[in-house]
Amino acid sequence: MARRLLVLTSLLIARTAAAEGPTLATDSFEYHSGGTVLVDGGLVLGFPTALPTGMSKGIGAGVTFGDCPLRWGARAAWVTATESTRAWMVTNSDLRLRVTGSAQHDEGRGSFGVRLGLGGTLVHETRTRNQGARAGRTGSELETSALAMVPAGDLEAVVGLHLLGPWLLTVSGGPSLAVVDGSLHTSWTAQLGVAWQP
Amino acid sequence: MHRGALAALVVVAGCDNLTGFDGEITPLVTMRVQATGDFESVRVPNALDEDLQVAVVWGTQWLPEPLCFVPPESPEVATTVAAGCRNPLSFTPVQVTSGVPLSPTAPTDLSLYELPAADLLFGSVTARVAYASLVIYDDRDHSGTLELARAHRQPTRGFDQEEDVPTNDIVYGASFVAMTEPDSRLAYREGTFVETGYFPRHGCGQPLPAFSILTAGGFSILDAVVATQNNMLPSQDPATCSEAKPEDTIVKIPLRPTAQVREVGCEQRRLDSSVRYREPPEMSPDLTMRPFACAKIPSLSGDMTSNSQIQLVIGTGPDETCKGITHYTLLGCDEGKLECDHPEWDYRATPPDWWPCPQAAQ
Repeated sequence: MARRLLVLTSLLIARTAAAEGPTLATDSFEYHSGGTVLVDGGLVLGFPTALPTGMSKGIGAGVTFGDCPLRWGARAAWVTATESTRAWMVTNSDLRLRVTGSAQHDEGRGSFGVRLGLGGTLVHETRTRNQGARAGRTGSELETSALAMVPAGDLEAVVGLHLLGPWLLTVSGGPSLAVVDGSLHTSWTAQLGVAWQP
Repeated sequence: MHRGALAALVVVAGCDNLTGFDGEITPLVTMRVQATGDFESVRVPNALDEDLQVAVVWGTQWLPEPLCFVPPESPEVATTVAAGCRNPLSFTPVQVTSGVPLSPTAPTDLSLYELPAADLLFGSVTARVAYASLVIYDDRDHSGTLELARAHRQPTRGFDQEEDVPTNDIVYGASFVAMTEPDSRLAYREGTFVETGYFPRHGCGQPLPAFSILTAGGFSILDAVVATQNNMLPSQDPATCSEAKPEDTIVKIPLRPTAQVREVGCEQRRLDSSVRYREPPEMSPDLTMRPFACAKIPSLSGDMTSNSQIQLVIGTGPDETCKGITHYTLLGCDEGKLECDHPEWDYRATPPDWWPCPQAAQ
């Protein structure tokens, strides 16, 4: 009985709302744009810089200066990936540091651009011998680590959507290149986050 | 100035090589193995161009079939048992790791890159152990590993033929041949150690955690029977026992005539002492050089029923790699059993022309 009343009530509410028509207008959430500084951060996904397989996950943040259409800035991201073979479990932690330049076009609430980032990725690699602990291995027979700074660059498409006041929803992604042990390593990166543009 | 120093520090700190999944795989354990004795004196005739290797062969529990340990009822049965039954305290192989070429003059490093799987470990998850024999063999097919053989079974009617594993590999030595001989074995232990009937070393020290090389002097079959009757494990002479880390010892393996050690390379079709009785074929099986006998179905003290059939048992020939006995009965059931409601075959009224045995015990 109670369930039927609930369903009936839901239908009445829906009819009332339909009768009143749409109340959400474009300017219901006011926003402002045009600031010369934009700070953003969010979740980062991508291919590991040095591993041949896997998915890196982590966080990233950046700051952008300048007026439309050309801007410059700096970005940093920290992502990790762990993958295994029968012999090894390898964890790569990448600290991506980039200086960026971007071309941007604003259209209404939207902001569309292309961002080029150049810099380096500090890769911390931990290799653990699978089954090594059970076999009584210790020290370097069980685990090794390495740290390497590799030159890298990203080319990303960037889309921003002004939501409310100075706040934006940002999505970016694109190919990434790194030179690992003398060879070119291609990958991709993407970020979903929010930005603040006072 | 400070920014430049920080940047330089980051760059300099990160100058290691990234290996990823590449690079040499660290062995989980490495043993040193050395063959002793003269190979030429044990070489199988005409087995030239030898490719001697040594491999780790993990063992399993195995119980012999009743015919092999009950007192034989006739000289013919005794001859057949001698030809078809292996030492009841033999090391029984179950899995082989890849072999490495054996140096005839210097110790050879033998590495393991994987632990024995859970089905090779005996005991609970908090206390389990596996034992292995280090086996020297001539890799005749150059496969890089020892192919375990199986005893040849005579043909049957009704069932699909059981596959014989063809192997030309020749075993020339093993660190662990049987519990009735002195042995050196590789042990892998996880957790605590609980003494069981799995290749027991009663009177010796415990295996070390993870891998270790154990030695023991062995015990006689009579010692094992007496100990079993007293609900105990047969004892080893403590003076013959040792437990060492693999890197601290060299396992010496004497080269021996293959007839003395080839059972180390023979896996068993059944591990629980059960017997698969077979339907006699229309044509006589090949009995050339194979001893055979008519025998009662063995009855043990704990059996609830006894069977009055007379079986034909055929042993293996002297040149066959693995010992085994083929059992034929005139009445039998699916899966090789003797008792069932609807027999799979019944030739009691019309036995094959070649059938040499009476139909039932007198």
